[in-house]
Parts: sequence; structure tokens; C-alpha cells
Amino acid sequence: MSTVAHPTPPSTARTSFASTGSGLSFTGLLRSESIKLWSLRSTYWTFSLVVVAALGIAVLMSFAMSAGYDPATGAAMGIDTAQMFVIVSTSGLSLGQLIVAVLGVLSISGEYSSGMIKSTFSAVPNRLPALWAKVCVLFGFTFVVGLVSVIGSYLVAIPILGAKDITANLFDVDVILPLLGNVLFLALIAVFAIGIGTIVRSSAGGIATVLGIILLLPTVVGLFSMLVGWVADIVPFMFTVAGSEMITPNTMESWQAFLVVLAWVAVSLGTAALLLKRRDA
Amino acid sequence: MIQAQSLTKHYGSKTAVDAVDFVVQPGKVTGFLGPNGAGKSTTMRMIVGLDRPSAGSVIVNGKPYHEHKAPLREVGVLLDATAVHTGRSAYNHLRAMAATHNIPTSRVHEVINLTGLESVARKRAGGFSLGMGQRLGIAAALLGDPATLILDEPVNGLDPEGVQWVRKLTRQLAAEGRTVLLSSHLMSEMALTADHLIVLGRGRVIADASVADIIASAAQNTVRVRTPHTAALATLLAQTDVTITNIEQDVLEISGLTVSEIGECAAAAQISLHELSAVSASLEDAYMKLTQNEVEYRTGDASSPTEAEAAR
Repeated sequence: MSTVAHPTPPSTARTSFASTGSGLSFTGLLRSESIKLWSLRSTYWTFSLVVVAALGIAVLMSFAMSAGYDPATGAAMGIDTAQMFVIVSTSGLSLGQLIVAVLGVLSISGEYSSGMIKSTFSAVPNRLPALWAKVCVLFGFTFVVGLVSVIGSYLVAIPILGAKDITANLFDVDVILPLLGNVLFLALIAVFAIGIGTIVRSSAGGIATVLGIILLLPTVVGLFSMLVGWVADIVPFMFTVAGSEMITPNTMESWQAFLVVLAWVAVSLGTAALLLKRRDA
Repeated sequence: MIQAQSLTKHYGSKTAVDAVDFVVQPGKVTGFLGPNGAGKSTTMRMIVGLDRPSAGSVIVNGKPYHEHKAPLREVGVLLDATAVHTGRSAYNHLRAMAATHNIPTSRVHEVINLTGLESVARKRAGGFSLGMGQRLGIAAALLGDPATLILDEPVNGLDPEGVQWVRKLTRQLAAEGRTVLLSSHLMSEMALTADHLIVLGRGRVIADASVADIIASAAQNTVRVRTPHTAALATLLAQTDVTITNIEQDVLEISGLTVSEIGECAAAAQISLHELSAVSASLEDAYMKLTQNEVEYRTGDASSPTEAEAAR
């Protein structure tokens, strides 16, 4: 019996043309967001600036510290050698904090100002997965850049401080933990800034808001505390104050300060997520 | 297939889309027409979930857009040519879009070739001309090989070759059984491209029919007659349902009679004719007639605002 081929007649009203292909996935979104991040020139120069600022300030600080160091009296200024290395390696990150804050805002406000957000949300109509992917990607890369900055700074400090016989092991908990804490806070600032950028949807407004919270708010609250006594109690709860208390606890424990930082990030991202879901793109 | 049901969108006190119902069928190019501000773009944005409807619903390929597991494979959308980060190259833009759905890079190259973007694919999209931006937008819409395409004024800014390419592409996509919804203000182009039309005016559907039906219903075919004896012919043909307009000294435009009827009448009365031709109505005429009372932003030449106010 001969087999007769029965070609299926071409369907005139197919509803799906690529049913074999895979659909949306979170790993896909992570890949998409890292392509977005690394296909903009601004990413390269902002991240480079973070590293260069960290290394440059580390060199300056190392020379300044070694100049004021007298081997005879030992630890100067009431700090030990581990602390000296931590200060030298992380001072430059305070500039990096401002840079990654701007980068975080721009990573989302740039999508709004250019119209890219329409493409993003038509590909990811539920919107939130795109936000979380952006958060993960920027957190990850900022963490790596921060790590490169502090370890690079530690390395450039070794010969300068070493000339005065000041040494500290990188993997000493008194060195590595504060360094990692600073890097973690740096990455959380970037994430916090994404939230603000999403809420404000404008580059200028977002940058002003984030820098205001980072730079101005602690000072303003500090000034108020001189007028109204109890205001002093809330100073440690300011984002950047809590960020530094994570590393050098003063009025609260490290973990408490870390929770305060997380609360700031959670409020920023939570509000962003709520608005993202509700607003028209 | 796109199905809208009582789809409504308010912006503050203004109603952009007012309880529209329509179905966009697969296998056809459906033209989406309407004056500026009629609600076309808002409707398109609601279809893909960029704007949330104030009331009613719209489903694409059987589901609300956001419920699809692979939205880009269901619907390709070009809303405007500026949905691209200006600092990113066309290639990287498409790669980032493709990555969300794990669409392989080979498909990115395919759509770049298909839209003729090879030479500029590595350049920053911010430097693109409007036409190049449109091609990039169409490339992005085609990435997922979607069953439904929504293109908002895709030929805007394209060169004549590009306009023709979009016409062929959309015809071909519809012939493959896809749903194609296309808006444009170029009536001549729409007449060549679309099979079916949905016309919006002030947020409501004012026509939903095939191109031929819309032309036939809204604009009458006329006959153009050139004769030295216009007055005699006009008197001869005068009857109810016949409109005769003297458009030039020796030219009449007559509606309500066929070419042969006029020819026979004139011959019987021994009136010499120098020209006798049927003038078929254009989509543009039909569209103008349909939307004359629906225009939101009218230019000032027809009547001054005070007269328009007084007429209300």
C-alpha cells in the first residue's frame, strides 16, 4: 500500500507563529538588562571614574597617613594599622557613592526620557520583573566595581604605607569586613537610586533627590538637632549615616544600621514598584 | 486577532477613547484611521498594556496582553520611532529586546537585514533620521515573529522605497494569516495597503467596514462631462437624486447617473459631448466625508472659531 502524503493545508488564521520558541524568563531579563547597561558609553566612564577616584584618593591618603606616622609612638591618631588600611582603601568610595547614585537614577530615568521604557514594557508587560532584573544587574556590577576599587586601593597603599612598616593582612577580619561593608553599601546606593529614578521618572529630578538624601539630609537633620533636642536621635537613621554605622558602629550595632539601610532601599524600591504597576507608561 | 470591548480611556476630564468595540481579524491588513486626537494611539497603547483602560477590556490572541508567556512572540508593536535609548546602537537595542525572550542573535541579524539597517546597525540610534528610526521600530516589532502586528504610522518619514516596502511587508504578513493593525494619515497609501478599515472620531468608532464599502458608502461616484451646451444638458438631466455641479464653464460634475445614461440622453437630444468620464471616489474623499464632524483640531481656513461657536 502506497503511502500518500497529506500535506496539511496552510492555516489562514494561525494565532501563534513561534510556539516552539521560549518566552519571557528572568535569566533572559538579566541578560537583557546587562546588555542595556554595557551598551551605553556612560556606564564605562562612570564605573571607571569610581575606580580611578578610589585609587587616586587611596594614594593621597596613604602618603598623608604615612607622613604623619611615627614608628616610635606606633599607631598614630588612636587607630591601629588595620584601621589605617580600611580608611585608605574606602575614602575614595564616598565619591564613588555619588557616581553610582547618578548611574542608578539614569539607568531608569534614561529609559523614560528616551522612550525606551515603551519598548521595555511592551516586552515585559508585567513590568516588575524588568525592574527587579535591572536592580539585580546594577547591584551585581556595582558590587564588583566597588570590590575592584577597595582591593585596588588596598594594593596601592601597601608600598606607600609599607615604607613606614605599616602592614595589615587583607583577609584579617578587621580589614576585609569593613571593606566588604563599604562595597555592599555602595551597591545598595545604586539600587536605592533606581527606586528614586523610577518614582521621579526624570534624570534631573532623580539625581537631585538622591544626592539630596545622600549629601544634604544628614546635614540638615544635624542642624535641626541643635534647635530641637530629640532630632539628634534620628540622625543615625539617615541613609548615609546608617551606611557608615554599618562599618563603624557608633550609636547602634552594625546589624541594626544594616537594617536601617535596607529599610531605606525597601521603601524606595517598594514605592517604585507600586507606582510602576499603577501608572501609564 | 484583537478584540476590544467597551474600551475606554479618560485622561482627567477628557475622554480619549469612548467605549469602543471592534475586532481586528487575522489574515487582513486593518487600517486604523482618524483625525489627530481621535484616540488611535491611545487605543494601540492600551492593546499592549502601556496604558491601563479606564473601563472595558481588550484582548490579543485570546488573552489580555500581559497574560501571555511570550508577549513579543504574540504581538509586535511599533508605537513611535522614539522607543529606543538614544545612546544605544540599533544592534544592541535589538539584542537587549531579543534577550528578554531568549530570541537568538541570528534573528536579530535577520530583522536587521529585512529592514535594511545593516549599514547603520552599529551606530547610535540617537543619530538616526526619522526613516531609519521607523525601520528600527519595525525591526523590533518583527523580532518575535509575532502573530499580530500593531504599527502606528509606520510610513511616517520613510522614503518612497520604504513606503512601498512597508506596503508589501504588511500585505505579505497578512497573507501569512497574521493580524495587522496599521494606522496612517496617508489615505492613498492606506487605500493600497488595507483590506479593512476602522475609523475613529473623537474616541468613538465611526466606521468599521471594508475599504470598498467605506468608499462606496461615504463618497458617491461622479461623472465628469465637458460640453459647450452645459445649460441644455443640465436641464435635460435634471431630476430627483441627480446632483449637477457646474465646476468649470463647460464642465459639469454629475452624480446619480451612470456614464451610459448620460451618454444616451445627450445623444438622443443631439447635445455634443467633448468629454464623458467616470470619476471614482477616493478613500480620501470618503474619509473626509466621514470625519468632517469629528475633527478635534481643525485648521482655521474653513470657518472662524466664533462662527463655529455660534453654529452650536
